[in-house]
Amino acid sequence: MSQELHARAEQLIAQERIEGISITDQRWLQQHLAECASCAARAGATEQAIRSLRGLSVALPPALASRTQFRVRMRAQQLRGEPRWRLVWAACGISWAFGAATAPYVWRGLEWAGHRMGVPNIIWELGFGLWWALPAAVVAVILLMENAGRSSEADWKRQEN
Amino acid sequence: MADDKKSLALGLRRRDPELLDALIEQYQYRLFRYLVYITGNRERAEDFFQETWIRVLERGHQYDGKSKFEAWLFSIARHLVIDWQRQKKAQSLDALTNPDEGAPMEFADDDPSPLHLVLTQESEETVQASLEKLPAIYREVLLLRFQEELGLVEIATVLSAPLSTVKSRLYRGLEDLRACLAGEAA
Repeated sequence: MSQELHARAEQLIAQERIEGISITDQRWLQQHLAECASCAARAGATEQAIRSLRGLSVALPPALASRTQFRVRMRAQQLRGEPRWRLVWAACGISWAFGAATAPYVWRGLEWAGHRMGVPNIIWELGFGLWWALPAAVVAVILLMENAGRSSEADWKRQEN
Repeated sequence: MADDKKSLALGLRRRDPELLDALIEQYQYRLFRYLVYITGNRERAEDFFQETWIRVLERGHQYDGKSKFEAWLFSIARHLVIDWQRQKKAQSLDALTNPDEGAPMEFADDDPSPLHLVLTQESEETVQASLEKLPAIYREVLLLRFQEELGLVEIATVLSAPLSTVKSRLYRGLEDLRACLAGEAA
């Protein structure tokens, strides 16, 4: 039997287990293995190597899962505690753009309302200033409320433990 | 199955603690075994195991819900090990992952026979000895293919390597393992 046939058989033995082979190649290989003792032994050894590999096991350290779960929960709690800066910056950006776009109309509207009600100029001008500061004030209140909620939740957990 | 992956991706995005607990339970053995194979060291594998799940928590939003979760999990673990190895040896990633162009990636280097210590008593001595002789990159692909039953494309995803590299490592690893077990020179 030529060396080329043995080389092809060797290639197919590994390929069958790693990638799979066509039915034609399977038939050819089966036929070759039936006629060639050395290639059959090689196929057997390859199969045995894979079986041995599958049979190996690793001992798990005690309480590995529970220790990891604890660490993950601690980290999750930390992450929840970090302020959502992206959200705050987005809110600031949007409110700034909105404020800039509407400023002339708000100024005129407040001026008109101020004159109609006969209030001094300084009052409606202060109102305009407040209009600009309002979004920042809302964000600050939300953050303060979030922090207060978190600290009371932590107190409650401490008491529970 | 696709729905399972999507709900998994959603849960990871939400950092659902119950889901993470369940995943840690479910994948503990497979992840730990993989880490033992690539680090060859039990204590180190434990550390990386915990770090991997922290990373899963932090970067859960990066799981696309299309690929197999275990492939994504193993790739996170693998990157952690490579980062650590890179810091330790200040080598390039290519040098670590391409054995044909330099020294093979061998994570375990300061223990006498680390893999031997972590494999259970029931395992055959000869298989243990043969595996210890193989470089980590071959052990890794053999584990992913024949123990984890991952497909070649999934292995390529875990390794962030071309399919051809995965195949050549598998052929070489299987051949070396067979030769070692048959008592031939690997």
